[in-house]
Formats: sequence, C-alpha cells, structure tokens
Amino acid sequence: MLALRDVLVSYPGFDCRYTLDVPRGSLCALVGPSGGGKTTLLSAIAGFEPVAAGSMTFDGVDLLPLAPARRPVSMLFQDWNLFPHLDAAANVGLGIRPDLRLSPADREAVASVLARVGLAGMDGRRPADLSGGERQRVALARALVMRRPLMLLDEAFAALDPGLRRDMLDLVDALRREHGLTVLMSIHTPDDVAGLADSMAFVAEGRIRAAGPPAAILGSDDPLVVRFLGRRASGAAVSAP
Amino acid sequence: MRLAGLAASALVVGVVFVALWGLVRAGEGIDTAVLASPYLHRIIRFSLLQAGLSTVLSLLLGAALALALLRRQAFPGRGALLGLLATATVLPAVVVVFAVVAVFGRSGWLGSALAALGWDAGSWLYGLPGILIAHVFLNAPFCARVYLRALEAQPPESWRLAAHLGLTPAATFRCLDAPVLARETPALATLVFLLCFTSFAVVLALGGGPDRATLEVAIYEALRLDADFGRAALLSALQLGLGGLLAAAFVLASRRGGESAGANRHALRPDLASPALRTIDGVVLAIALAFLAPPVASILAGFAAVSSLLQADVLRAAGTSVAIAAAAAVTAVGLALALALSARDLRTRRRRPRAAGLYAGIAFAPLALPPFTLVAGLYVVLRGHVDASTMGVPMVVVVNALMALPFAMRLLEPPLALAQERHGRLADSLGIDGIGRLRLVDWPLLRGSLFGALATAAALSMGDLGVIAFFGGSELTTLPLLLYQRLGAYRMEEAAAVAMLLTAVVFALALIAQTGRDADARAA
Repeated sequence: MLALRDVLVSYPGFDCRYTLDVPRGSLCALVGPSGGGKTTLLSAIAGFEPVAAGSMTFDGVDLLPLAPARRPVSMLFQDWNLFPHLDAAANVGLGIRPDLRLSPADREAVASVLARVGLAGMDGRRPADLSGGERQRVALARALVMRRPLMLLDEAFAALDPGLRRDMLDLVDALRREHGLTVLMSIHTPDDVAGLADSMAFVAEGRIRAAGPPAAILGSDDPLVVRFLGRRASGAAVSAP
Repeated sequence: MRLAGLAASALVVGVVFVALWGLVRAGEGIDTAVLASPYLHRIIRFSLLQAGLSTVLSLLLGAALALALLRRQAFPGRGALLGLLATATVLPAVVVVFAVVAVFGRSGWLGSALAALGWDAGSWLYGLPGILIAHVFLNAPFCARVYLRALEAQPPESWRLAAHLGLTPAATFRCLDAPVLARETPALATLVFLLCFTSFAVVLALGGGPDRATLEVAIYEALRLDADFGRAALLSALQLGLGGLLAAAFVLASRRGGESAGANRHALRPDLASPALRTIDGVVLAIALAFLAPPVASILAGFAAVSSLLQADVLRAAGTSVAIAAAAAVTAVGLALALALSARDLRTRRRRPRAAGLYAGIAFAPLALPPFTLVAGLYVVLRGHVDASTMGVPMVVVVNALMALPFAMRLLEPPLALAQERHGRLADSLGIDGIGRLRLVDWPLLRGSLFGALATAAALSMGDLGVIAFFGGSELTTLPLLLYQRLGAYRMEEAAAVAMLLTAVVFALALIAQTGRDADARAA
C-alpha cells in the first residue's frame, strides 16, 4: 500500500500537505483544478520535489530517503517521455540499462514489451515518426520493463483525443491487472476513468479535500468539487439558457 | 560532474586570486597621491565622456536602424545591409581601427576625396572623433540587431490589434515599439558603456595622446612603457572597482521577462504607409549604409596585396593566432561546461540555488576583470619564478580563455537548462547520471551550442589585441598585433591584406557559431 501521512511540500508563501492511502494493486485517480497540487503530489512521490515533513511508505518501505531512480516508481508525463534522438527500442531499453548496454536477452524483452503495448515491429522508429498515442505506448512499455510496482501518470494522456485516451487508459488498466501494479494518475476529465478507478482523490489548494469511491467524490457537496465539475450547488448540471 | 565543477571554479578563482595578490604586492608602499593626480582625473573624465557619447550614439543609430528595418521588410539591398550589420558585429576592434583610418584618415578615402576638392581637413581623426567613429561602428550594428530581434519577437496579437485599431504612426511607436526599446535599453546601454569604458585597441590606436586614454590603456602604458607595477596596480584596482560596478549593473539590467517568438506579420503594421516615416526610414537606412559600407569595403581592398599574405611573418603570425585561439577556446569551453553542468546540478537536483549562483558568478567574474589587471598581477607573481620570455603564450591563452568564459557560459547554459526541463525528471527516474547523462540527455541539445561556443571563443581570441600587445614582439606576433604594427608603419596595403585575412577567419568562426545555434534551435 502507498501511505502518505501529512506529507509537506513547501514553497515560498504556499504549502502543500497530503494524507492519502492507495491499496496495492488499485487504481486511484487524482482530480481537481489546475494548480491545485496534483503534479506536486506525484512529483513528491517520485522524488522530484523535496518533502519537508511527514512520512511516505510503499509496502512498508520508507520512500523519502531514496533517490528518484531508487524508488519503486515509474512515471509518465504528458510530454517528453521519450528522448527524441533514440528509437523506440532504445527508449524502452533505458528502463533496463540506463547506459543502454543491452544484452540479447534485454533486446528480446524490449521487443516483447513493445509487442504487448501494440507496437510490434516499431522498434526502430524514432519518436518523431510515431503518433502521440504510440509515443505514450513506448513510455508505458518502458515503465513495464522497469518492473516497478507503483506507476504514476501525470496527465499522461491529456493531449490525446478522447477515443485514444480511453484506449490508453484501458491498456493501463489491463497492464495493472496483469502485473499487479498500483496506479496513481492525475486526470482532467473524471469521466475518463469511469469504471476503471477503484478510488478517487480530489486535490485542491494543496490539500486532498476528499478521497474515496469515485461516485462519492463526484457527488460531493464540497463547493470546490461542485465548481470543478461545473455543477450547480444543488448538483444539477449547468445548462445553457 | 561535481568534481569537474569544483576543479574549474578552483582554477578560475585561483588565477584571479593570484593576480589580485600580485597586484596587492606590487601596490605595497605606493604613494596613493597618484589617485589625486590631474592625469588620472583627466583619464577618468575622458573615459566616461567617450564611453557615454559612444553609448548614446550607438543606441540612437541602432534603434533608428532597427525600426527602419522592421518597418521596411522588402527593399533592394535589405539583405546586404543585414549582412553588413552581422559583419560589423564580429569585426575585431583592431580591424575596425584599420577600416576607420583607411576611410576617414588624412590619406584615407574621405581625406583624399576632400583633398581632391581642395580642402585639407587636417588630422581631425585622432582623439575623440576617431574613438567615437570606431566605437559607434563596432556597437551600433550590435544594438540594431538586438533591438530588431526584440521588436520582431513581439506577439502577433499586438500587431493585429494595432492594425485593427488603425493606430497613427506616433501611437504605434508609443504603444508597440517604445516599450520594447525601453525594455532592451538598460542592459544594452550598460553593456555598450562597459565595452567602451574598458576599450583598449581603439583608444590605443586612435586616442592620439596620453591624455586621451582609458584606464586600460593607462595600465598598459604603465606596464609596457614605464614598467611601473605599482602604478599599474593602483590603476588596476580602480578599473576593477569601476568595471565591477558596471558589470553588476549589467547583470541587474539584464534581468527581464521572456519574449514571444514571432513570425512574419509586419505587413499588418498600420504605420507602413505614412509618407513621413517612409522618408525618415529612407534617410536612416542611407546614413547607415554610408557609415557602415565604406569601412567594410576598405577591408576588401586587401585583395590588392593578397600576395603579401604569403610572407613568412604573416604565416607565422597566423599560425600563432590559430594555436592560441584553439587553446583558449578549448580551455574556455571546458571551464564553461564544467561550471554550467555543476550549476545546473546544484540548482535543479540538489536545490541549492545560492551555490549554483556562485558557480555562475565565477564564470561571469571575468566580465569585471580587465585583462591587463590579470596580466599585471600574474606577471608580478610569476616574474621571480618563470622566465618572462616564456610567459607570453600561456599567459595570452589563459587570459583570452578567461575573457571568453562568460560568452561560452552564456551559450551553454540555455541548452543545458532545456535538456533538464525536458528530460531531467525522466533521467533522474531512470538513474541516468554522470557522463551517460551528458551523452544521452544533454548532447543532442547541446552539441550545436558547444561548437558555437568553441567558435565564439576562438573568434574572440583570434581578434584580440589586448594582452598580446604587452607580451608580443618580434618573437611572438599574432595577426591583430601584426595588423597594428603595419598600421603604425603606414604599410596600408599590407595592413588591408592582414585585416582581410583576419576578418575572413573571424567571420567564418562567427558563421560556425551561428550554425551551431541554429542547429540547436532546430533540435529544440
């Protein structure tokens, strides 16, 4: 289980403080307004943001003393998940050997995982020759070969069109079930994870305002949730006059 | 990376510290009454006067030229004028001195033309007029290019709005152009003033007398002509203080917001059809062409004596220049890369912005250090231990490398920051570090700028007539020194040939530098 207790990320004049539990093997969606602290939370878990106080464990292991590369975490960003001068196979291979000295067995593993994400035969293509969805599939493939149990997605599919976005989320869900991954993802549109997310956390003003089953969060009367979802205070959807 | 950064900073700080210690030693017991001497006051007054006038004239001509080029996007010769600006920007100071003498000197093109008309203007060039012409020639094109780039980078929405509102030419200038010029001017003015205040080659050659010197020239004269190390130390301390203030002012003035990249949308400007502006732009462009073209053309006159370039002394000087430039460039870029990588690592991964700022500060410190201050200090310390005749080449390499260090740093920092911004977190999460990070993550975005930095540092060293003027002689001559010697001996045709060769080499290096930056821009 990923357990965060009063994790404090401090900026001049602004503090973010998080408490959250994500059970092992589950998918938790982070929703909330832009600038509310979703990326900061994911970055703190990945080790990119220094944590000033609190505790953060995964399956009982303290994450805070670990450097980003030592954490049991793989992360996908919205952009620049791939090095543009390396082909798909090399980008995935970095997940096995950062110095890219790959053995024949490593290359086989790379080809196999690329096939698993639907990119069989595309090993030699560079990012510029791939579509947006294919690029994210390469990044997913790399996350898989890293064999890290906690996967973080920071609006990783936000730039894709709705149909492709859903395909990618289905793929993430399938991989989660196959490999027993714990997935924590920030998303823009709550509808995207309908039926996929086991839990949801609403992040705003640097705090987790509510966490629980998606239906409970989306039906919350918290004014920030209501405003974020564009509902009237009564819960009715905003309609044109 | 951290070790490399520490070693580079220790080297730079060590050299500077030894030089300052040497100056303190040389200055022991010196009569500080020199500070109150009328000679020193005259020098400082003259330095301030020529630097102030040079700055104002350069900014005015640069701004007028930039606006005219912005408004007139298509006229015959626009490309040639832009090429002239680019050429004038990279010309070594000593070549500009030659060009100014060749055109405006008593026996130059203008003097000869006036003489043919029966009017002898006399030796008006040497002194303030010559210095101003050379400084404006060197700096106005640079100002024009900086202003033009900033004006062209305005967001397209501004132009659309101006066209939509039908703004008058005066309102267009007030609302769109003036704020950009005002934003760019403080940093540009400080930089031009700093360059003119510390000018050496131009003032040495065109000053025309000891009273019309800059502190830099006065230090040179104290060292070379009088071997008075105490006076050199005192003048260096003064130069260091004033240069430091100006450099700090430049750093402060340079802190400004980002710019929007623009595309070609100037056809939307509402003031293009104004007859008054058309006339003004035409006059400005004609003045710029008349001012810039003849000196550049005078360098091309070197073709007439191109065979003189095969003389043994020219070949030897060229070889020495290339060797010194190569060594200085590699040293400067090596130091800059080590400092930039360490500063980035401290800023982004270790979150120690103050320590990162220290590394960056070390790289930019030479901006405040006049070359002769370094030379004077190092010479005082080393002369007891090292044969003075063997000191020349290493000293010139070290000082040229330190002088090029801020420029190399400035070229290397942006691509490194971009690589960090794009791939830093990914590289961290994948555990890509050290040389592997440089090779895999940074190199694709860095390589163009790295070659650009090498070319820039080499160009600065190739064209430098500073430290070499102190150490140089019959045994050690570079192309700039040879040009200066030929100019002094009135061997104008041979001087033109050397100026042409020097210009060609520096221009080629500038082209390489630009190609490197363009390659990085494409990679980004």
